[in-house]
This record gives sequence, structure tokens and C-alpha cells, in this order.
Amino acid sequence: MNLSRRQFLGSATALAYLQLSGCDTNPTWFGQFKQAALEGPIQVPLTGVQSPEFHVLSRLGYGPRPQDYKRIAHLGVAGYVAEQLKPEQIDDGECERRVRRLEALAAPLGELYEYKEGYLLKELTRGAVLRATYSERQLYEQMVGFWSDHFNIDSSKGDCRWLKVADDREVIRKHAMGSFPALLRASALSPAMLWYLDGRANRKATEEERPNENYARELLELHTLGVEGGYSQQDVGEVARCLTGWTTLNKGIGKHGKVVFRKGQHDDGEKLVLGHRISAGGGEKDLEQVLDIVALHPSTAQFIARKLCVRFIEDDPSQTVVDAVAKTFTDSKGDIASVLDTLFQREEFWAARGEKFKRPFRYMVSALRATHSETDAPDALLDYLMRMGHAPFQYPTPDGYGEGEAAWSGTLLWRWHLARALAENRVGGVTVDWNGLKSAFEEEQQVLAHFWGREAVAKEVRILKSSPMKAAVALAAPAFQVY
Amino acid sequence: MANDNGHTLVVVYLRGGADGLSMVVPFEDDRYYAVRPTLAVSKSDTLALDTMFGLHQHLAPLEASYKEGALAIIHGVGSEDDTRSHFEAQDLMEHAGYGGGGWLGRYLRYRPSPAIGPLATVAIGKATPESLRGAPSTVTLENFDTFDFGEDSRRYLEDMGALYGDVDGYLGNAAQDTLSAMDTIMTLKDQDYSAAHGALYGGDAFSRKLRQVAQLVKADVGMEAVTVDLDGWDSHFTQAVLMGSLMRQLSQGLAAFYQDLGDKMEKVTVVVMTEFGRRVYENASLGTDHGRGGVMFVMGGGVQGGRVVTEWPGLDDAVLEGPGDLPVTLNYRDVLAAIMKRHGSMEDTYRVFPDYTAEAVDLYG
Repeated sequence: MNLSRRQFLGSATALAYLQLSGCDTNPTWFGQFKQAALEGPIQVPLTGVQSPEFHVLSRLGYGPRPQDYKRIAHLGVAGYVAEQLKPEQIDDGECERRVRRLEALAAPLGELYEYKEGYLLKELTRGAVLRATYSERQLYEQMVGFWSDHFNIDSSKGDCRWLKVADDREVIRKHAMGSFPALLRASALSPAMLWYLDGRANRKATEEERPNENYARELLELHTLGVEGGYSQQDVGEVARCLTGWTTLNKGIGKHGKVVFRKGQHDDGEKLVLGHRISAGGGEKDLEQVLDIVALHPSTAQFIARKLCVRFIEDDPSQTVVDAVAKTFTDSKGDIASVLDTLFQREEFWAARGEKFKRPFRYMVSALRATHSETDAPDALLDYLMRMGHAPFQYPTPDGYGEGEAAWSGTLLWRWHLARALAENRVGGVTVDWNGLKSAFEEEQQVLAHFWGREAVAKEVRILKSSPMKAAVALAAPAFQVY
Repeated sequence: MANDNGHTLVVVYLRGGADGLSMVVPFEDDRYYAVRPTLAVSKSDTLALDTMFGLHQHLAPLEASYKEGALAIIHGVGSEDDTRSHFEAQDLMEHAGYGGGGWLGRYLRYRPSPAIGPLATVAIGKATPESLRGAPSTVTLENFDTFDFGEDSRRYLEDMGALYGDVDGYLGNAAQDTLSAMDTIMTLKDQDYSAAHGALYGGDAFSRKLRQVAQLVKADVGMEAVTVDLDGWDSHFTQAVLMGSLMRQLSQGLAAFYQDLGDKMEKVTVVVMTEFGRRVYENASLGTDHGRGGVMFVMGGGVQGGRVVTEWPGLDDAVLEGPGDLPVTLNYRDVLAAIMKRHGSMEDTYRVFPDYTAEAVDLYG
């Protein structure tokens, strides 16, 4: 029992907390949030290539749940896209009730330090799995994942093990579908980022001190312009000078981790960043000036647009589609929902059905969704993510988990492994009602089309028919590795 | 079974940019002590390698192999990449140019006898490094005990074989590699392993990984190239503490591996590399920023060791590069080229290093 709990129990919300915490010891805890039973018959489009329904559910989200076809039939494919672009208008109460149990995720910045090491990472990871699996705001969760990679923080570095919770909540989740400049600013002043990329140690209090360039470099290389974005070593050094003096408090009840600007540690001379003169004496305003120069820079528009096209369309998108998406980025001043709207309207987006290889996190979540699993995201699932090298918040270097198939092809073994464990209900803390699932569809062919997004071909049908472990084979098949 | 003249190349990558100046200390250079007032390693904290350089005391376990002539150290080595970006520098070093694939992948594909067994290329860890991109096959392996598929494993793998059998490209290849690897692993995992010659591996992940490499080498599974990463060398901040622990892990692991393999080291080369060395001047947070020239280690495989191979330029401001970095006086490709020549009988390395004419460093006398 840690201090925060004791303090919390004395607070006005203790009653509500106790009601929730009572559920902690109840083995059937997740029963109360159980998804509605499946109502059949569920109609799945039977197509040769991945259906448009499967495509939007898989690209905007983590893949179809059995009940999603009815929703798409009601909204239409375009209607579904439009709905997902306005996540704030989608009721997500059921998912939030599941996540609320992870109370540490709501703890204010200053209280995060009161948790035991390792506890927060687990809560964060469980939250990520639960939200990806159960949220109705699927596109929003995709973007949370996208920005978590883009502004990667390895929560094992220094105080990130506590502060990443605040970064996840107040940087990534707060701005995931909002404004890119606002997201960038929040990240620049995120205590976890100041720890992760050493910004807190970037100071110039004396003539001899040299700035710590780590954050400045990644800001230009990874967060905004991209390595080919046209900056020089000189620019990195100058940006680092502009950002000197920003640091985090390393003690104080309720203040530990808070970001402050120390004027005495700021290099207040004149700087030149990407050709823009920043006059001497700007103090903490230097940061705003730097972010204004880079956030909507044409190279940033290109860099972000390309990354989005790679994530949502294909691993090697054409310059034409990147340019179109970059244009909206520039025109909308980095409004993320508008940028995505442009991307989803492109022919290239619709033409790329089944072209992407699932990364391990997606593989796992898509299997949980496809099978209508009940889970509270137990350790067993987190172990699979570790084995497949794709545990959220644990990528060591600032470039974030990679796209592309080559990076992940060594994970097939563990996918096959997980497929069998799910099929045999051997993953502790995950329950699949296989009979209920099968009977919700009119025929077996429909279940396969639901898993794979397309009709099974004769050979696949033949192999599955003769296999004693059909469900495992269906989830381990090549057709379930792509989307 | 092995094609590479029976050799195994073990590539250890120190990710983050390891500070060569703390590992192999130029203790006769007064400038070193002038530019690193708090971080310089004093001569008394080193083991003399020759008249100019000393091995950091935390690397002491490596002294035996050095004295036995089985360890060569290359100093002031690196790539031509001067972005000082981890990703650019690692990327360039691991790809070794702007062609497709990684250098190790291309080497395995283009050496004179490119046929390759199921465990020819192994990445120990969770992910495959960029250097292996483009390799004919790669198995990513964490340990032998956790592969169990449950009942009817064979039948399940048969179904996988049937479903993936006519899948093209990366997915089909990945499946074939997985199926082959499973066969070998199922055999290996039933065997107990204890290190030979009293070798003492550490309890850390790096030692554990090297022990697995030793096991695979001894099982003679035809492993030709294997990669092992040791992460965390990006010492912008409180470098001494951070590097102390890493150097101990590195040296204990390598020394145990060397002792464990004994005579088998004749056919096993371990090469240790990093994307860049660090800035000569220390920064204000008791650390160092990204620099240029660093160190490499080459152990075993018949290397003529017991020497520091370097074209040492000194540390005067006039010779330092850019913001104050040890210049790269030896290109890492020239070190790798020497090893490829020995391992794969590869005389001409232009396909491995498409935009570079390698001149092999004389490692073998």
C-alpha cells in the first residue's frame, strides 16, 4: 500500500474508490463489463480481396469485432469513416469503465512518484491493450499508437517510469486527433520527454557549459523536419541553446516532476535557427519561437504526411499521395483530423487493401477483437508482447517501433503460439466463447471471412477442414497476418 | 553443414554510441586529461595495453585474451557519417551504404557459397537488427525453452507448412525459416548446458545471450552469423556510472565466451562495434555528446591480437573534427572486410560495400 492510496482514502472521493476497489478482489470482476452477447446471424461480406468494410475496420481501427458489421451496414463505410474522425462524439463509456479500474492512470503528476517501480508501466500497457481492444473510438486509438511511436519514450529511462503516465495522458491522448503544433508543444514541455531526451540537463549557466543536444537533435530529426529535412549541425546546436534552462523539479510534495524554466541556466544570446534570427534576451519565449519555426515547416508537413501514409496506406507510398496529405497538413495548420480526412479520401488508401503486415500488437489485438474475447489484459498477454518485441512504451531508442514487414517477420513463431493458446482458452485472463462465436455466424465460411476480411480459397478451406485445431490454424494463417 | 568454411561471426553491437576514450584510455595524452576534467580515466585505473593506451579497469576480464594474442583493439574507428545521429549512424553503419539490405545480409547473400542452413543467421534477442536485412534467412531467438506449442505440435506445424507453403515473399520466407528453426530447437532444448573450462558467465542478459551463442556454436547447427546487442551506451548524462555497469557486462560476457569455447575460438570471430564514439569534450551534465571516432574489438578467429590498431591523431583542437570530436582515422568497413575475407573467402567486397572500396586492415598478420 503506498502513500497515494492512503491520501486518496482520506479524500472526498474515497467512497467511490472503495466501491471500485471492492471489485479488485472479485474474481468475476470483468463480468460486470462484459460485452453484450452476440446476436446472430451476422452477415459478413464474402469478397475475393479484403472487403471495404474489413478495410476501414482494420485500417482505421484494430480490426473487426463480430458486431461491427451491423454498425457499418447502418452507417455505410463512408459514414463510419466520418464518425471515426469525430471521436469526441462517440460514446465510449463501456471501454472507459474497464480502464477506470487502472486508477494510477488518473493520478496527478506529483503523485505518480508514489507508485512502486514497474507498477505504472504495467497499468499503462494494460490500458493500451484494453483501449485498443474495446474502444469504440478506434481511429483515435490508432492515432494514440501512432504518436506514441512518433514521440517515443522508453519508460525504463530514469524518471520516465513514473512520468510516462502523464505524457500518455496529457500529451499523446490529449492531442492525438487535435492540432499537431499543440501536440508538439505539449511534448516539448512533457516532464517525461525532458527526462527521456535529457532536456532537463540542457543548461548553460556558465561560459564553459555546453548544451546537451539530445532533445534538439531528435526534435528536428524525428519529431518534425526529418533527417533529410534540411537542417544542419549548426541548427541542432542553436536549437539546443534556445531550449537551455527548461528542466523538471526533482522533489516537492505534489510538485515532483513539474516542468520549470530556470532563467539563470538559459543561454540568452542571439541564435540563428534554420535561417530565422532569434534575438538575445528571449528567455523562455525562445522555445515558442523554435516550435513556431519547426511545427509547420514544409519539411515537417512532408515528414508527418509520409509517416501517416506509411501507417495507413502502404510501406512505400507514392509521392503524389504524400504531397496531397502534406498539403492538407499545411493548409489546416496541422489539424490532425483534417489531414486524416484527406488521406482516407484518397484512391491510394482504398487500393491498398490487404497490403500491410500486422505488427505484433495489432496481431494480438485484432485476434482479441475478432474472437469477441473477454479480457482484463492480463500478464500473459503482456508476455506475448514482450516476446514479439512490441510491448508498448518499451522501445529503447527515440525513433519508436518501426513499420514494415522485415522488422517483424521473426515474430511468426509467437503468433502461431498465441493463436493456439487463444483457440484452446489457455491464456489466463482471456476468455473466448468459441461456440457462441461460431453460432453467431450462419456458416463457418462466414467466420473465416470475418477473420481474414475475404472469402477463404479452396486450398485454405481444405486444410482447415481436415485440421483438428481449426480455430488456431485460422488465427495463425497467413491471411490473418495481413490487413 | 556450415558453408562459411565452418566459421561463425558474432557481431556485438553497442547501441547508443560507446565512448572509446573511456574504454581504451589514451593515458599518455595530456590533452585527454585537459579536455575531460571530471570524466578522464586516470592511468592507475587502467591496465596498460601498450605504451600509449590502457584498458579501463571495468574491462579487465578482457586482459587475458589480449595477452594471449586473441584480442585486437581498433581505435579511432568509425564511419564517414557525420550526422552524429544514432539512427543515421547506426543505419549507415548497419546498411554500410545506401544500397538495399544490411551489410551482414548482403555478405551472406553474396559470398562465394551462399547456400544457407536453417540456423545460419541468428539474431539473439527480440528483434532483427538492420545489419541482417536482406539476409537469406534470419531466426530471431530469445531462448530454447519457450517454444512449446502444446499437444500435437508436429501436426500444427504441418498445417502451417501447408498454408504458408505457397506464400511468396517475406511472409513465406519467414514461415519456412520458422518451421526449420523449430525442428533444430526442439532437439537443442532438451539438452542441458554447462559452460566448459570453468567459464563464468554473468547473470545479466548479455551474458545469457552469449551463452546461447556458445551453445549454438557447439551444437554445430551451421550458424554462420549471429548478432547480439548491448544497449544503453548513450551517455549524455552521468557517464561514469552508466558505462561502468555496461563495461562490466560486456567484458565478463566476452571473457566467459572466450574461455567457454576454448579451441573452438579459432573458427569463431567476435566483432564488437558501435555507431560512433563520443565528443572529446565532456558536457555540463557529466556526460558526453555524440562524436565520431570510437573503438572496435575483434576477438578470436585467428586474429593477430595483443595490439591496439590505430592511426592515432592526438586530441589537439587542431585535429578534432566538427564540434570537438576524435576524427575517424580507420573506416569500420576495412575491419569487417578483413574478417569477411577470412571467413567467407570473399576477396572483393564491392557488393557488400557498394559505395566504398575497402582496404582490409591487417588483422591476421
